[in-house]
Amino acid sequence: MKTLVKLQVNGRVHELAVDTRAKLAEMLRDDLRLTGTHIGCGTGSCGACTVMLDGETVKSCCVLAADANGQEVVTIEGLSKPGELSTLQQCFVENHGLQCGYCTPGMVLAAHQLLKDNPQPTEDDIRHAIAGNLCRCTGYQNIVKSIRAASGR
Amino acid sequence: MAFIGKDVPAQNSPALVAGAGLYTGDVKLDRMTYAHIVRSPYAAAKILSIDASAALELPGVLLVVTGEELRAKDYAMPVEGFGKGASLKPFALYPLAVGRVRYAGEGVAAVVAEDPYTAKQAALLVDVDYEDLDPVVDPERGLTADSPLVEPDWGSNVLFEIRMQAGDAGGLIAKAARTVGGELRHHRYTGAALEPRAYVADYDPHRRTLTFWASTQCPHPMRTLLAQTLHLAENDIRVIQPNVGGAFGLKIPYFQEEPLVAALSLLAGRPVRWIAERREDLLAGGHAREGHFTWQAAFEDDGLVTALKVRYVADVGAPSALAGWGQAYVTGFALPTCYKIRDTDVEVVAVTTNKCPWNAYRGFGKESSSWLMDRVMDAVARETGRDRMAVRSRNFIPPDEFPYPQNGGAVIDSGNYPQALKRVLEMIDYANFPKLKAEARAQGRYIGLGIGQELTPEGCSIAGSARFNGWDGATVRISPTGEVTVLTGVTSPGTGNETALAQIAADQLGIDVKDVRVIQGDTSLCPYGLGNFSSRGVIMGGSAVHIAAGELREKLFKVAGRMLEAAPGDLETADGRIMLKGAPFRHVGTKDVVATIYGDCHGAAACGVEPGLEATRYFRHENVYHQPETQGRYSAYPSWANQSTALIAEVDPETGVVKILRYCAVHDSGKVINPMTAEGNVHGGTAQGIGGALFEHLVYDDCGQLTTTTFMDYTLPTALEVPHIELEHQETLSPFSPLGTKGVGESGVTSPLGALCGAVEDALCEFGVRIDRLPLSPENVWTALHPKGGRA
Repeated sequence: MKTLVKLQVNGRVHELAVDTRAKLAEMLRDDLRLTGTHIGCGTGSCGACTVMLDGETVKSCCVLAADANGQEVVTIEGLSKPGELSTLQQCFVENHGLQCGYCTPGMVLAAHQLLKDNPQPTEDDIRHAIAGNLCRCTGYQNIVKSIRAASGR
Repeated sequence: MAFIGKDVPAQNSPALVAGAGLYTGDVKLDRMTYAHIVRSPYAAAKILSIDASAALELPGVLLVVTGEELRAKDYAMPVEGFGKGASLKPFALYPLAVGRVRYAGEGVAAVVAEDPYTAKQAALLVDVDYEDLDPVVDPERGLTADSPLVEPDWGSNVLFEIRMQAGDAGGLIAKAARTVGGELRHHRYTGAALEPRAYVADYDPHRRTLTFWASTQCPHPMRTLLAQTLHLAENDIRVIQPNVGGAFGLKIPYFQEEPLVAALSLLAGRPVRWIAERREDLLAGGHAREGHFTWQAAFEDDGLVTALKVRYVADVGAPSALAGWGQAYVTGFALPTCYKIRDTDVEVVAVTTNKCPWNAYRGFGKESSSWLMDRVMDAVARETGRDRMAVRSRNFIPPDEFPYPQNGGAVIDSGNYPQALKRVLEMIDYANFPKLKAEARAQGRYIGLGIGQELTPEGCSIAGSARFNGWDGATVRISPTGEVTVLTGVTSPGTGNETALAQIAADQLGIDVKDVRVIQGDTSLCPYGLGNFSSRGVIMGGSAVHIAAGELREKLFKVAGRMLEAAPGDLETADGRIMLKGAPFRHVGTKDVVATIYGDCHGAAACGVEPGLEATRYFRHENVYHQPETQGRYSAYPSWANQSTALIAEVDPETGVVKILRYCAVHDSGKVINPMTAEGNVHGGTAQGIGGALFEHLVYDDCGQLTTTTFMDYTLPTALEVPHIELEHQETLSPFSPLGTKGVGESGVTSPLGALCGAVEDALCEFGVRIDRLPLSPENVWTALHPKGGRA
């Protein structure tokens, strides 16, 4: 069964019919082809699917696409223009804050939210802010370093 | 400028950080269909019947396939042994279970539908009638005469057993004045890459070609295996490995789902996508570890270990076409790791059980060897009353004895273990630790220090193996405008080896690393190669790039020599110029030399030189021994990285919770091409080692049901559990690889095991606590503290 959903994604309004079983993450990926939002667990544990919904980070594998009706979504693709990187993203590149890149979009959005709420976080603040986002490659060390670097710029 | 040894940011990072990566699950094709797999709820059962009629009636369902149908097409999966190391008992394997299931989660049938929701719904409607059997869950019981059998034809549950003996360890231990021994149990855990396995198969029935996108580590071997299974010509198959979201060994072929998804596309005549759900990956995506050591050592008063006897029983899960069971062999082969113990007797028994098959996982068995040796050294230190560092140093292979022939057959290329251990203990202020510990104790806190000494054999090269061998290839190409393309057979699942390869090519050709583009993971573009495993990206791939780029450099120098009226041997290159050594004002732009070779091949400078600027070369590692008849040894591992780790941990005796307070390491993988990416590998390996040592645990119940099938039960370390890692490098070059590299991909994962066990024992020393098992979960630590149960 399909249902009609109207929502704003990265500043653009979309109106589309989605499967009532579809998660927000699946709609973003399969229907809007915004594949920067990744799915790692489907149970809200890993954070690879993190997006901003009405200004707050959510795990989009745990939100039904139909429930996002009327809301504003920002995905990783909404943080910078094609071919450009935000300061935070640039800091991830320079400090090797990513390896395989699968957790990275969610990690960057979690960090984006942190720096919005707390522009000068301590290392402890950073570690707590990303504790809902799992990474298997970096041991978090260079992610923490990247976010610290961004907080100073 | 030279790029080797510099922190060059990973070339793939800008796209990945923008969310612009392309992973297999992102691939969407016209007319694509979606597969879902029906999996066995039983660990061991006969399949009596499969009724797909209700599923087929659901609108949108295209087909339902069973194992019997794939068997009728003779889609058998090739199974490879471990060359001259250990051979396997034979068994038949198909992409879906045939006749009986061998572990909970094994695929029984597959549904293809127009959308993923319908495929999943239809899978629930496939009615499978099972007769459940008594499963083998405990390997010790599996070895008893009255045990049920995983493979009824074998007569036992032993997949293979091997004994590696040097000297007379048993005799020495029997006569020795002082001996110590014990048991050690390792639990089951896995890599859990964040990207679940995913495959997209697109069979074109008109052209009879198959394009296969795969989250894999080994595209070329995958192509060979798919051709063998599906009876296709290998040159009709193209395997594409897009970005891979972590692999850690767990994405080495050959999973049943791999030929299955390809077969479904052949049968449907349309593209088929399958992405594992997390539950499916934890159930059937490959497990690792789970083994039981029984060991005994003889030693002298000064801590010198004179003999070691080990029996290792490994629970490798159900038989499979994965490489995981080889880890049991490697655990035995790598002993006695970085120590000089002349007399050793090592017995390895790999037992099959009705659990998920082992696949390769970072460490590949040698993490268990080094963990055992840490426990042996700590035990000898305790028995002799000597310092733990002093006992290790007393037993290390001395730095002047390399290359060192180790007992298992290997020749260890190089190392300076005493220097690394000394340095890491300086970093952690070892001398001052007793004071720190006393101060903490005065505050009612229990802190301890542990040492982890890891040795990591790399560059796995198995005699006769199509998948694991000690060579790889590279094509280096200079375009008419002077930019360089590197095509390589090694792949990167995020480890950054593409950047290291670009650095190597840039230095050989004296150009900017930004002018080098590396292409990996496409069998239609790249020379045949074996992909990534065993830290081989830089060892094998990097060496091949070095040689191929070196060939082009010679050609450039030949032409440049004529342009500069100098002998090619008197030239050197840097910063985009080729110049006379000692007289850099006599130079020519490298791009001008390139333009001359392409545009003026009949002219004075380039005539007589073969046109074109492309070289394909293969590198073979020479520290491999596959001819025991003449070489007197068999060794599959040419390259030996090592690390010394020291950590301080705090234990709460009330709860058994272990917290790491400080973590220091000195790592040595020979020449480091890119310190920033190399350190990233060590950080990640360390986090996985810590997770495995403390809490990651795949728990089976007595019926063979996996009880940890989500990330809420199978808990991974977060940023709060992984400490800041203080890391230094030591570079002891390998004499066997052109740049002295030794491989860094598995470093760091091992030493948390021994170091954490040592630290917990040290923290709780006043209670005489002995750690004989992992994980160091609160429950296990509390139980070690209260061996009789109840409150202390």
